[in-house]
Amino acid sequence: MINTTFYLRRLHSICGLLALGGMLMEHIFTNSMALGGSAVFNAALETMELIPKPIFLGIEVGLIAVPFLFHGIYGIYIALQAKNNTGSYGYARNWQFLLQRCTAWYLLVFLIWHVGYLRIFTKGISGTPISYELVQSYISNPIIFVLYIIAMFAAIFHFCNGITTFCMTWGIAKGPRIQCVIDKLCMLMALALCLVTVAYMGSYLL
Amino acid sequence: MAEQNKQTVTFIIERQDGPDSKPYTQEFEIPYRPALNVVASLMEIQKNPVTKDGKKVAPVVWECNCLEKVCGACMMVINGRARQACCALIDELEQPIHLAPARTFPVIRDLLIDRSVMFESLKRIQGWVEIDGTWEVKDAPIQNPYTAQTAYEISHCMTCGCCLEACPNVGPQSDFIGPAPTVQAYLFNLHPLGKFDKEKRLNTLMEKGGITSCGNSQNCVQACPKNIKLTTYLAQVNRDVNKQALKNIFNK
Ligand code: SF4
Ligand code: SF4
Ligand code: FES
Repeated sequence: MINTTFYLRRLHSICGLLALGGMLMEHIFTNSMALGGSAVFNAALETMELIPKPIFLGIEVGLIAVPFLFHGIYGIYIALQAKNNTGSYGYARNWQFLLQRCTAWYLLVFLIWHVGYLRIFTKGISGTPISYELVQSYISNPIIFVLYIIAMFAAIFHFCNGITTFCMTWGIAKGPRIQCVIDKLCMLMALALCLVTVAYMGSYLL
Repeated sequence: MAEQNKQTVTFIIERQDGPDSKPYTQEFEIPYRPALNVVASLMEIQKNPVTKDGKKVAPVVWECNCLEKVCGACMMVINGRARQACCALIDELEQPIHLAPARTFPVIRDLLIDRSVMFESLKRIQGWVEIDGTWEVKDAPIQNPYTAQTAYEISHCMTCGCCLEACPNVGPQSDFIGPAPTVQAYLFNLHPLGKFDKEKRLNTLMEKGGITSCGNSQNCVQACPKNIKLTTYLAQVNRDVNKQALKNIFNK
């Protein structure tokens, strides 16, 4: 018995939670350093640069790029299997189900642009190091700022709602009470992370 | 409560002449009477199939049997939601009442649908207990009464298909067998003799279209007219297939 579907689905789930969730938390953590101003943020980036280049690249490819591509591509396949019906069945969890897919589509496009421009073009090809000043001038463009903040909200929601569904998919939360409690806790966490994001992104503009 | 017009009841019915013909809608008006339900209203229309604007048309086709929410046959989409027509009381519905076939299933004619895909799925998950004559009835293993309570609840399933119609992941765009057959697998896994085939059922649920296609939207549990705690048992089956996967990996 091979059951490829089963293993792909579970891999999709665990990839999202650990690799992508980890990456999102790292981004929020490092970027929140911007609250301390230019010196603190640049120092945080330099600390990361201490990781030897080949190892850093290995992490980027093996633990970030590959899981991202898998989660994204297999995710498209999953999203295409849904006919969304919040119009007739407007329950909270059905809305979350829809939002999980909407945020995914937005992030798919956003990440191609974000990674393509900042990581591959700016840092990779032109060799410009990322710094507080660079980010500041980049997001001082109001359109980019708005697109970025939507992307952060989308990623945070997708991650936190993903924890809820992870608990159901892995059979961790079985009964309605625990499922509801986990859902509420995850949405509270999403709210908190969104507030942190607004704070550090806003701090660039002050 | 539809206090508005107690004299008549208005229906807007989505009709379709055959499996491949184009759907169209027609409006009907029937006299009101207390305790009227959707099936009884459809019977009125059948007696006198004349639309609101006076056109004589072919009677509306639908399906029903028990008229008491146990056979599952009369499932249709009433005011946007999948439910049993025989227990949908006119007094509790907003008018005009919209009736449509449950398009998750192939439409045969008007409101009549073909739910045989659910029975195929029940065959796929082995929704039965093998009786091989190994035991005399008096020696057969007994069911734990607590487990029996759970089994009793799940056994209420009447294969109506409300949960499949409400599930965003069931439909022509996907091969998901849907919540009802998935949870029925759990019912037969709970049975003292049925559990001999537990591995087989769980392995089937791991295949394409099995439980992994569930996206946790939890519409099914809201839609089920028999109040089966579908999401709870889906989580339990998730737990069981995960354990089965570990066994598959490490026991061979
Ligand atoms: S919880 Fe799963 S089975 Fe139930 S409606 Fe949602 S996707 Fe369908
Ligand atoms: S689980 Fe409930 S909604 Fe689904 S088919 Fe059975 S009785 Fe109908
Ligand atoms: S006629 Fe049997 S459930 Fe409605």
